[in-house]
Amino acid sequence: MRLALLFRQDPINRGERAVLVTFGTLVLAAMLYPLWASTYGITVVRDIMLFSIFALSLDYLWGKAGVLTLGHATFFGIGAYAMGILTIKVGASSLAGLFAGLGMAAALALVVGTFLIFAGVRLQYFAIVTIALSLVSTQIALSSSALTGGDAGLLGVPPFAIELIGARLELSDHLSQYFVALSLVTMVYLGLWLACRGNYGKILAAIRMNEYRARSLGHDTDLHLLIAFVVSAVLAALSGAVFAAVSGFVAPDLVGPLLSTEVVVWVAAGGRGTLLGPVIGAFAVTRLQQEISSIAAGLWPLILGILFVLLVFFFPDGVISVGRQIQAMLGGRRTLLRRQSA
Amino acid sequence: MEAVVLAILNALTLISILALVSIGLAIIFGMMDIINFAHGEFMTIGAYTLAYIQSLSFFLAAGGRPWTRAFWLALIPGYAARASGLEAAPWVGAFWLALMLAPVAGALVGILIEAAVIRRLYTRPLETILATLGISLILQKGIELTFGSRPQIIYDPIRGTLPVLGVDYPAYRVFIIAFSFVIITVCLVVFRNTQFGLDLRALIQNRDMAEALGINTRRVSRLAFMAGAALAALAGVLIAPLASVEANLGIFYLGRAFFVVIVGGTGTIAGVLAGSGLIGGLETALSYPMHPSLAFALVMITAIVLVRLRPRGLIPGFSFAHELLGKK
Repeated sequence: MRLALLFRQDPINRGERAVLVTFGTLVLAAMLYPLWASTYGITVVRDIMLFSIFALSLDYLWGKAGVLTLGHATFFGIGAYAMGILTIKVGASSLAGLFAGLGMAAALALVVGTFLIFAGVRLQYFAIVTIALSLVSTQIALSSSALTGGDAGLLGVPPFAIELIGARLELSDHLSQYFVALSLVTMVYLGLWLACRGNYGKILAAIRMNEYRARSLGHDTDLHLLIAFVVSAVLAALSGAVFAAVSGFVAPDLVGPLLSTEVVVWVAAGGRGTLLGPVIGAFAVTRLQQEISSIAAGLWPLILGILFVLLVFFFPDGVISVGRQIQAMLGGRRTLLRRQSA
Repeated sequence: MEAVVLAILNALTLISILALVSIGLAIIFGMMDIINFAHGEFMTIGAYTLAYIQSLSFFLAAGGRPWTRAFWLALIPGYAARASGLEAAPWVGAFWLALMLAPVAGALVGILIEAAVIRRLYTRPLETILATLGISLILQKGIELTFGSRPQIIYDPIRGTLPVLGVDYPAYRVFIIAFSFVIITVCLVVFRNTQFGLDLRALIQNRDMAEALGINTRRVSRLAFMAGAALAALAGVLIAPLASVEANLGIFYLGRAFFVVIVGGTGTIAGVLAGSGLIGGLETALSYPMHPSLAFALVMITAIVLVRLRPRGLIPGFSFAHELLGKK
């Protein structure tokens, strides 16, 4: 009953409809894209779609619940490494690798989150501690090379395969991988969107804006934040595990601080808390990265740094807010015109 | 016995460096609620200042014109020593010059960052993280593009060993420990016994109240930021002969420094000392029986557990940063 209240679905209003239409258009475009794209283009977009699940997971935690973590790649990497190690070293099925990754990420998030969130660790403190998390996991990935392949990582992760009562479904060709990635993004997006549009989203917003007040209104803020952290970790691990199975390799940079930083840029560039923004941000920034890397490979960190500073000063609400501002301006003018004609 | 003394001395070396880097971080965090992710780069700047001055002095001493030789003679004691036929190489003097100039370089970059970014984001602490993270990336890459990606060559400024408690210990490390001890003592005295220190402590306790009492909070913040940057640059010079001087030098110490601040407590120098003692001591002790990266991981995990047990740090200072809840 309480859950039903928490996730109660009201009729869709105008703003929500606009967002859904935009997302639907993007999905439609993504569905049509393979018609003219090259195989390379398909794999690029497929990877970016998996990364945008990762961006969505951070947006849920940072944008919706207000918890900034700078070590989110830890969970992405756990998913990827669990998939790689279980399928290559143990010989288990992809499904086992996937669930092991999700389970490990959830367990780690639960332990770390219990320690930190219930201790009142918030904001900058939380950001720092999670950086350490990513540093530690990179160290572990590099040093235990018998299991993780060390510096080189793991190559030859078998493609995702599911065996159901004799029938075997294997995602070995680019097109099926592409569409699985697309449907995963769509599901994660819609799931988060549906969860956060009602009362639950309002509670998270209350915690984000003033945790004291939210608590004095009777909400168990610690528990809410812990749940958000764990769910976000699981989603990150999901994107990591599928990424490993689809791209076929796992490398230490998948747990590292650079990816953790990049995902923050994707979310910030797109507009945090908007869910749609981070998906767009992941696309735009990753494409930019590829363009720059093809010109000068070493220059990307520099550009990333400049991008950070520009975002903070000029687009604190991300690219999506620019569109909203224009819309507001146009809308304003239209009402003005209507008023004049009336 | 010898091994224990050696371990303690090694720990003291790491602790000294950590304390120097962390003081600035802790004071800035306590004072403005701001975490400066570019703080590690001040250390890198210090180390590169040393590398640059050493190579410059070597170059000039090798084949300079008379007037440049005279210039360096006046400026660098080590050069004079060589000119007078002693054993010392010119780069020995360069080290002392770098020890004086690196804090200046660090403070200058610190002023720039404070004026361009931090001052504009006082009210948005989370955004400051992103902005300073960006600056850190820019500085790192900038240093790498200017000086190349290979590690810089650093000449040992002080050679030989000193007998310490029955153990022959590298004289340079003894120097690091002694020198840092002096600098940290000076910081403590400034923090406790001067008008600037009083203003600083007032600011850490309550910024608005300090301003209402007529303290020029902007000026105090700026000075504190500069001093923190200078100390980190100093630490960079000190560690340079022992470390591989690359553009990402600061990152390795920044991670530890964050933990020093979290474990020790923000806004106090005593907290920084307690934190560096714990983190530096633990890491040194653990890296004997196990792989260094595992030791590092264990230190981080210990720090996370400690944060749970003492959220305000071992020696909590008065700080707004501790009022973690209910702030945007």
